[in-house]
Amino acid sequence: MSSRELLALLVVAAPALAAAATVVAPRRVVHVVATVGALASAAAAGALATVALASPGSPLVERWLVVDAAAGLLVAVIGVVGLTAVLVSPAYLAASPHGIVRAERRPRTFYGLVFCFWAILTAIPLVGNLGGAWLLVEATTAASALLVGFGGKPRALEAAWKYLILTTLGLGVALLGIVVLAAGSPYGGLDALSWRALEHVHAGHALIAYLLLLAGLASKIGWAPVHNWLPDAHSEAPAPVSAMLSAALLPTVMLVAWRSSQALTPVIGDSAARSVLVGFGLVSLAVAVPFLWQAMPWKRLLAYSSLEHMGVIALGIGFGTPLALAGVAVHIVGHALAKALGFYAATPLLGHEPRAAGHAARGIGRTDGRLASVLGVSLGALAGLPPSPLFASEVLIVAGGFAAGRPWSAAIAAALLSLGFLGLAHALLETIAGKAHVRDRAAPPGRRGVVILASIAVPCLLSLTVAAVWLPGSAIARALVRGIG
Amino acid sequence: MNGALIWLLVALGLAVVVVRRRSVAVGLVTAQALVLAVSAAQDTAAGAAVLAVRAVALGTLLLLVVSRTREPRPVRAGIAPIARAGLAVGFALALTWLIPAIGLESRNAERGVLALIAFGITAAATRRATLFQVMGIVLCENGLALAALQLPGGSSTALEIGVALDLTLVALVAVVFHERIFAEFGAGDTAALRSLRE
Repeated sequence: MSSRELLALLVVAAPALAAAATVVAPRRVVHVVATVGALASAAAAGALATVALASPGSPLVERWLVVDAAAGLLVAVIGVVGLTAVLVSPAYLAASPHGIVRAERRPRTFYGLVFCFWAILTAIPLVGNLGGAWLLVEATTAASALLVGFGGKPRALEAAWKYLILTTLGLGVALLGIVVLAAGSPYGGLDALSWRALEHVHAGHALIAYLLLLAGLASKIGWAPVHNWLPDAHSEAPAPVSAMLSAALLPTVMLVAWRSSQALTPVIGDSAARSVLVGFGLVSLAVAVPFLWQAMPWKRLLAYSSLEHMGVIALGIGFGTPLALAGVAVHIVGHALAKALGFYAATPLLGHEPRAAGHAARGIGRTDGRLASVLGVSLGALAGLPPSPLFASEVLIVAGGFAAGRPWSAAIAAALLSLGFLGLAHALLETIAGKAHVRDRAAPPGRRGVVILASIAVPCLLSLTVAAVWLPGSAIARALVRGIG
Repeated sequence: MNGALIWLLVALGLAVVVVRRRSVAVGLVTAQALVLAVSAAQDTAAGAAVLAVRAVALGTLLLLVVSRTREPRPVRAGIAPIARAGLAVGFALALTWLIPAIGLESRNAERGVLALIAFGITAAATRRATLFQVMGIVLCENGLALAALQLPGGSSTALEIGVALDLTLVALVAVVFHERIFAEFGAGDTAALRSLRE
């Protein structure tokens, strides 16, 4: 077994073992066990990502395993989001004592599910087979639906139910696409669905299979117009889970769509493969932007921002040039950092201003400057306010669109992004400096943790902005363009 | 698989869309999966065993849940049975017209697959009862199992086992939420969950 294979095994096994450890751990040490498990899992993810990104030109592509630059990027994102989600979970569990399980079982069940979700999620970028990827994506639904409804309130139950039913039906459509691919493959069994075998699928079947596959995956990625579960699930889930859904799950499932597109391009043609992605990207942006102009509760605003950002990433993948794909890489990482921070800040925000659960947060800067600075960093970065890396990535993606010979799509995207920026900038001003209600000035639970995380996130975001300048001509961007072919 | 069996599967699927009682619908989807298992036995014993175990496990689970969450009266669907049947058949015909040949062993089988998926989506979209929405998913999966059985080179048993496990896992989670919704609102009725409309 090579070092990459060993690392790939470790990176999935570590959170799986942590899940088992937290379930059997005594109550008084469950937080400590979870923290140790998260650190070990994140360390393994960091090691694999370093190996994959250090030599992007020589990916490991086997029958069941892929370790390439894209997998390294996503595994790193999942590791960082998973670790920080576990670190902020004690504050969430302390602030929300009720849920779908009895109080004495809450921490163990919560951590067990989080680590199960983490382990399955980490396996998706590494699996070398479309059939295997589908099975893992479907498996994330079960674990994450329980987490979405973990709070046990009626709204959380509805959000979890919608998420479960809509994404499962969508993945059923994706599975039909996979069956069609298998029907058109010269190979039998699971080998027909390995990433490299897909380019041998019969051309007559490939396009319809690709359309079914992407239409199905779109329901899980949250692309419009099949995004209905997304705002509800992200806003009703516990804050650490919302972060994992938005910052890790959505881009990871998008990688499956990306790999499928790259694998099928030789059969269905470059234009068809990319046009579908560009279409989903533009529709998602167009649907998200009007919501970003509305005053809405903090987590719901972040959820609609996820719809916008998944649209941006789809556009970048669809444009497919080195510029655009470098933008995609920066966007995935920058979005993960900023969005996770925003969701984590929801716990102290609700402690400081309980009305924020159902109304737009206003004037937080007038009553809690530290919390406001965290909210400002998150929303400013997500809006694409310079020097946010998301500003740089959006510029790269739009420029990549022009370079790809799609000036109209790039121009429409630029216009929609500008409108989205204005909406979020208005929300940023209102949240920080709007009219404030009378509030308790005591430090809300979990504030210290998110302030520390923000102080780490800010230099990381700035470094990412600098990296965005270097990335387009790098070996990583070339590896992303080449895919696993 | 002969045409009569495919028509039987389609008829059972359409019946799920129109029946009132949850227990009858559970019986119908279980019967459908068992028909698939029996027809699979001619080609692949392992595939047939997977389908049979899945059918019995899901049928037992769903019947258990029906008995644990007795409704005072069946949850009304909001759309009359004849209209649901019309929608389901119309959707199935539209899919058959829109989607070209997908490479299965016969065009009849392809039509059967698309019809079952259309019926499943219609059941999930038009029924308010939570368990009927779960059965819509099971209907879709039965359609996909039919497609896998009709692949020219046969399907992968490993993938079939994985799909069956995933479906069972999703059904288990759905059952957990159904019981919570029943406990919270006194009925497994998604109309009670109306707080999140934009």
